[in-house]
Amino acid sequence: MSVVLDVVSAVLLIGGALFCLLASVGVLRFPDAVCRLHAAAKAQTLGLLMILLGAALQNAPRYAVPLALVALFQLLTIPVTGQIVGRTAYRTSSLSEASLTEDALARRVPPEERLPSPDD
Amino acid sequence: MTAVYYVVFALLGLSSLLTVVRLVRGPGVLDRIVTLDVLVTLFAAGIAAEAARREDGTGLPVLLAVTLLAFVGSVTAAHLVEKREGMR
Amino acid sequence: MNRPVLRRLPALLWLWLLWVLLWSTPSALVIVGGLLVALSVLAVSRFPGVSRQITVRPLRLLALCWRLVANLVVSATAVAWAAVRHGPRVRAAIVEMPLDADSDLLVTLATLLTNVSPGSLVLEIDRRGGVLYVHVLLVVASGEAGEARRKLLANERRLVAALGRDDPDDVPPLPPPPPSTPPSRKDDA
Repeated sequence: MSVVLDVVSAVLLIGGALFCLLASVGVLRFPDAVCRLHAAAKAQTLGLLMILLGAALQNAPRYAVPLALVALFQLLTIPVTGQIVGRTAYRTSSLSEASLTEDALARRVPPEERLPSPDD
Repeated sequence: MTAVYYVVFALLGLSSLLTVVRLVRGPGVLDRIVTLDVLVTLFAAGIAAEAARREDGTGLPVLLAVTLLAFVGSVTAAHLVEKREGMR
Repeated sequence: MNRPVLRRLPALLWLWLLWVLLWSTPSALVIVGGLLVALSVLAVSRFPGVSRQITVRPLRLLALCWRLVANLVVSATAVAWAAVRHGPRVRAAIVEMPLDADSDLLVTLATLLTNVSPGSLVLEIDRRGGVLYVHVLLVVASGEAGEARRKLLANERRLVAALGRDDPDDVPPLPPPPPSTPPSRKDDA
């Protein structure tokens, strides 16, 4: 039983770390802040959840509680961070215009209402 | 199991390295906010893996504080960017 | 016990439970202290009650949770692949997504659900107009932006089917809009 548990948690830990690595590759290679958020919000969230689950299997059951709470808070806070960073990125013209093929938000926030990019 | 943890820590370390490259390159404040958030989450993953390696979860409640602080920090910083740009 | 107190009972129980879980050793001091802390938090804060805004249908909710996990796995894999394969050449689009969801809690959940769908991330929420503006990574979502929008709308209908109110007309009205403050570039600091 312990062997099965070890194998499952080893797969989860390594798989989770791999997703974290791929998320970092995304953070490094994607063209703008919002595309990088995609990598953080998905690949890395899954990676962290897998590592948390793998760690929970290796510890006494009572330590599963803080791990589950971390997972819950992570799931709840990622959309908030994403929305606030995304919104700020759009309004401060930090999105890479070249990679946008369609922009429905332009009707609501016309370019003249946006602020100059913070990097200029 | 020991080999597994070496692989996990190597992967997480490599991820942190890639993330730090992006942190240094930026180019914008928002990129760095996103990147720092990713970095803190990597640390959280590392703490969890270390707890599993030692089969001792005493440090796990710290994780909660770390992840929540990262969240509050990112949101505050993003708000500040918008405020600062608005005053320029 | 009057109605406002009853309405905030779920929040009280959740805070109390959270306190006890965080201490992870249920001694008498922790349990009583947790109740006091939860009561004082509720006394000094004015959270709007959200529990009345939804009707829970357990089976559909369970199916939705399963869908959430499956979506997260698929979209994480897709983003990871895009990072390796396409990297700096990814294309993105911002699409509108009109919402059926009418309460704050449902809009929040719709945002969460949209965020775990492959390739999409909520960029802005127009709460009053009931529209989400979604940033879509096109190489991840496979196909053009219209396709991605159709998938997102199908997801949201599932959410409303699981948690939407039985009597949608009974939703409390939104508070009046805040005075509009257009971003100003004036140097008023």
